[in-house]
Amino acid sequence: MGKEETNRPGTEELEERTAERGAAADGEVMAADAAGPSGEKRKKRAGKKAGGAGRKFLGLAQHIALAVMVIAVCVVAGASGFRVDAFQNTYTLGYSLYDQSKNYEDTGLFTGMFGWVFSDVVRHGVMSGQMETDGRFDGSKVIDVTAYNYRQTELPAQYVTAEYRLEDLLKWQSYGFETRTETMTPEQAAAFLSDRTRLTIASSDGTDGSAEVVVTASDSRADDGLHQTDVSGNVLGNQLWVYTDGGGTYAESTDDGEATYTDEDEDYLERNNLLVNRYLTVDGGKLEDYVSDWDLYYDLCNQVKTAANGLAYNYKEYLEFNNFYQADNTNMRYLIVQETDEGRQIFTNLTAQDDGNPAFACAEELMKTGTLADEAAVHSRYVYYDPADMVYETNTGIDEETVRGIVQGYDYAYPETTKFWIGVDTAYPVGDQFRQGFLGFCNYGVYLWQGVAAALIAGVLYLLLWFYLTCTAGRTTDEEGNRCVGLQPFDRAVPTEGALVLACGAVCIGLGVFVLLTDLLGIDPTSPWEIADMTEPARTWSVGLMAVYVFLADWIAMSFFYSLVRRIKARTLWKNSYARRLAGRASRFGWKVYDNSDIVLRTWLPYAAFVLFNIALLLIAFVHDSGSFLCWFALFVLMAVDLFVGIVLFRNAKEQQEIVEGIETIAGGALEHQVDTDRLHGNNLTLANSVNSIGKGIKEAVETSMKDERMKADLITNVSHDIKTPLTSIINYVDLIKREEVDNERIRGYIKVLDEKSQRLKQLTDDLVEASKISSGNINLHFEKIDLTELMNQTLGEFSEKFEQKRLTAVMNVNVKKAVIEADSRRIWRVIENLFNNIFKYALEGTRVYLTIDNAPAQDGHIELSVKNISAMALNCNPDELTERFIRGDESRTTEGSGLGLSIAKNLTEAQGGTFEIRLDGDLFKVVMTFPAAKD
Amino acid sequence: MANILVCDDDREIVDAIEIYLLQEGYKIYKAYDGEQAIRILKEQQIHLLIIDVMMPKLDGIHATLKIREYSSIPIIILSAKSEDNDKILGLNIGADDYVTKPFNPLELVARVKSNLRRYTTLGNLNADNNALFRVGGLCIDDDTKEVTVDGETVRLTPIEYNILLLLVKNCGRVFSISQIYESIWNEEAIGADNTVAVHIRHIREKIEINPKEPRYLKVVWGVGYKIEKQ
Repeated sequence: MGKEETNRPGTEELEERTAERGAAADGEVMAADAAGPSGEKRKKRAGKKAGGAGRKFLGLAQHIALAVMVIAVCVVAGASGFRVDAFQNTYTLGYSLYDQSKNYEDTGLFTGMFGWVFSDVVRHGVMSGQMETDGRFDGSKVIDVTAYNYRQTELPAQYVTAEYRLEDLLKWQSYGFETRTETMTPEQAAAFLSDRTRLTIASSDGTDGSAEVVVTASDSRADDGLHQTDVSGNVLGNQLWVYTDGGGTYAESTDDGEATYTDEDEDYLERNNLLVNRYLTVDGGKLEDYVSDWDLYYDLCNQVKTAANGLAYNYKEYLEFNNFYQADNTNMRYLIVQETDEGRQIFTNLTAQDDGNPAFACAEELMKTGTLADEAAVHSRYVYYDPADMVYETNTGIDEETVRGIVQGYDYAYPETTKFWIGVDTAYPVGDQFRQGFLGFCNYGVYLWQGVAAALIAGVLYLLLWFYLTCTAGRTTDEEGNRCVGLQPFDRAVPTEGALVLACGAVCIGLGVFVLLTDLLGIDPTSPWEIADMTEPARTWSVGLMAVYVFLADWIAMSFFYSLVRRIKARTLWKNSYARRLAGRASRFGWKVYDNSDIVLRTWLPYAAFVLFNIALLLIAFVHDSGSFLCWFALFVLMAVDLFVGIVLFRNAKEQQEIVEGIETIAGGALEHQVDTDRLHGNNLTLANSVNSIGKGIKEAVETSMKDERMKADLITNVSHDIKTPLTSIINYVDLIKREEVDNERIRGYIKVLDEKSQRLKQLTDDLVEASKISSGNINLHFEKIDLTELMNQTLGEFSEKFEQKRLTAVMNVNVKKAVIEADSRRIWRVIENLFNNIFKYALEGTRVYLTIDNAPAQDGHIELSVKNISAMALNCNPDELTERFIRGDESRTTEGSGLGLSIAKNLTEAQGGTFEIRLDGDLFKVVMTFPAAKD
Repeated sequence: MANILVCDDDREIVDAIEIYLLQEGYKIYKAYDGEQAIRILKEQQIHLLIIDVMMPKLDGIHATLKIREYSSIPIIILSAKSEDNDKILGLNIGADDYVTKPFNPLELVARVKSNLRRYTTLGNLNADNNALFRVGGLCIDDDTKEVTVDGETVRLTPIEYNILLLLVKNCGRVFSISQIYESIWNEEAIGADNTVAVHIRHIREKIEINPKEPRYLKVVWGVGYKIEKQ
């Protein structure tokens, strides 16, 4: 047993090697074929190559399609917005996919940009109003600080303020405000401030400085409203509010100021923070000259500081704006005309050169007439807004509402008489934001829909190609022109895991390159739309590089993918893998150990291990908190292992079932059947091998016996030939002697004996050959439809004289309508002839012979023929013996027949699918034969 | 008379055949192997050849094949091989008749005569006669009601004659007993009867050399009777 099992792996290897040798032999045959007239073959091979080349081309097309798709997506992404350098900032302006405008100037992009610029200009007009006189910066402009601070809201009814020159305030702000702290007695403090406060009363129509009220210090406190004039935001620190009335002394501190108490009854010191008057007011006064109250003093200080701060900020912006929207830097021109009581104010960046520019030449005229010459519209886009005359004119997408909204935000700065005009030269001679947008639009925006279409088409094409190539991957034709799966050298040489590792490596490298590339290009790979933020030519470069990258990446990735597909198709995914080799080795080792171990070890050890394993895992599962990961994991493993054991048991049972079926098949007579041992293991394999060798043994025995029988038949045939030649001479010379008119009676008797015996010898040899041939199954049968009744009549016709000679009478009964059977015509005649000869020889003279044709009672679809006669001699033998060779009813009688007649009849009947049975009842000799009835 | 070459490696058999054929008045040439037979055939005017199959030097089958390349004389194969296949082989390679050993000398003589007759008198009869039916060596003249086999007149009873005529007229067709009965007796065949079969046997015994192996009137066992097309 052990020997066989240790042999098993070896056998497998041997089989494999045989298979390989077979394949090699095939190859040789093929080579031999190819050596012949191989024009057709060459054509086929050429076709095959062409197919491969076609697939390669399609693969290339697939990668190109992906690259095109990436480019198209980039175009779409790029066209969805443009990076423009706007005032004070750089923006990406969005461009809607649904913006169908053919003209850049009609797009929302342009309109948006124009709107911004408009807003910028309006704001700048405000600042210019603050900073300029007659279109030039005027540092000597007088600024009423409180009024400035309250420019956007309503002024309080009365307030303190001071007026400074613009340049003084700007300088003060840039140098910084300085405070100093002084300790004063109340008297000193009172003396420090003015003896009266100068209050400005806001006029009902909102214009300031129309009235000036002087309030004495004593009643300043009475007006609570003054305290509310505190400007939010900048509050001076370390303020100390001191109240002196009523004799009681208390101090209230705000912030973390410090109150100082004096021990004196009435006098105490105050510490006051004073703003250093770096600049004097327009009137040449100091701040403390304007107020008589500390609260108001501080309020005023704050107003000064706030105004200076705001002005400085505006001044900075004003400068920037002036620079940014300088005529040389922008394609935009603006013109704001204000008609005031003091005269006409104009803010513009129009220059002398613009007079020759058809786009802007008309601006001045527009201001006067309110209408625009047509030619201006051709060269420019503009907005003209005249709120006083309710005129709004534009050839841009900006509506009046927007413009009004923008202007209203600064209504304090713009009297109703202001007229606005903003125009953009659509020739874009200057490389400003409008030109950037224009270029972006021309380069991308125009192709937006084409980009979308191209992306879609390329995407669909990619998918189609991918699908087609996946379906046809590896398809090829072999030498005979049959379809088969062809593997490429890579698929063969590199096992599956190797290919996977390579693929993973390629993916990692690819990702690395991708990260490096995007980092280099400054793209955020997570949001491809940011490509819109890029400026040219970086954008074109990025798109190109990405396309190349995608092309290469897809090439490599698809190479691996198609290799995988080919492997799956050729079913080598598992076959050509390390895992399989490992698994095969492990299972061989396992089975080797298993097969070589004792029955006790083989059954109890695994069972005990199984039970212990179950218990252990259950313990783990229940000792731990139910629901914990470990618990679930343990249960899962438990189930998996139990399932595995179940499968193993099932497989074992299945193997046994196969063996049982095999045994049954062999028992059923199919001796050549072999149990398939390829998937059997252990005892089952031993069992199957034993069954197979038993079957084989039986089969061999049967074959040997058949062979022996055939050899015997051949021997008998040959011997009979050898006997026949001398027999011929004997018969001939006996006949010649008979003709010699011998007188001697005795010699005539001898000759008669010789004649009879030689004739019998002849019969005997013929019958012997026939009998041996039938029993060795060495005859060919030609089945046809035979009418038994007809046959009986023919036979009776043939035997009529013989029967008359013995005074036998035949009585025939036909009890069926149609007695048609399937048989070999000549062979069945031989059966009947032998039977009738037998009757002729052994029937009692003068008796009747009964022939009956009927349906076989026991066998459906068979016809029964029975022949009955009375034997002349008593039959003292077993009926079966009569059909045995060389057995006759009366062994003493040796005068006639070979003794083979009934044997031949029986064998021939059986060879034709019938039965032949002899029944003896006293002297009644009955033969019952059945034959299969002919199917209609 | 005709010259007959007998070829067999068994000298006694050749001698015995010689005795029988001499009695019939034929001139006999003797050969003991195939080569010898071919040599004699070339040297002498031979009208019929009786040849054994199993012989030294050149066996009967190959000798027959060679002879058939240039001669069309009747050849009777005489062999101990009695299997159907052997007979079919012998007749297919060009032999005219096949007789198995041990043979009945009288049958052999009859076959010799028959073959010679057919060889020498073939085509002598008037083919224009509409009432003349011919199957191989069997010939029925319906005008004179005369039946000849290889030129020898055969005597038949009227019923036998009618049955034979029916079968010869429909040469190759198989007639069952009932069909024959109905067409000869002109009445319906009620029940099975062996009358026809007996008549058929009688006809066979008259026109066949060996009734057990009929040449013309064949029994299709369990089906009926027919005249074999030749």
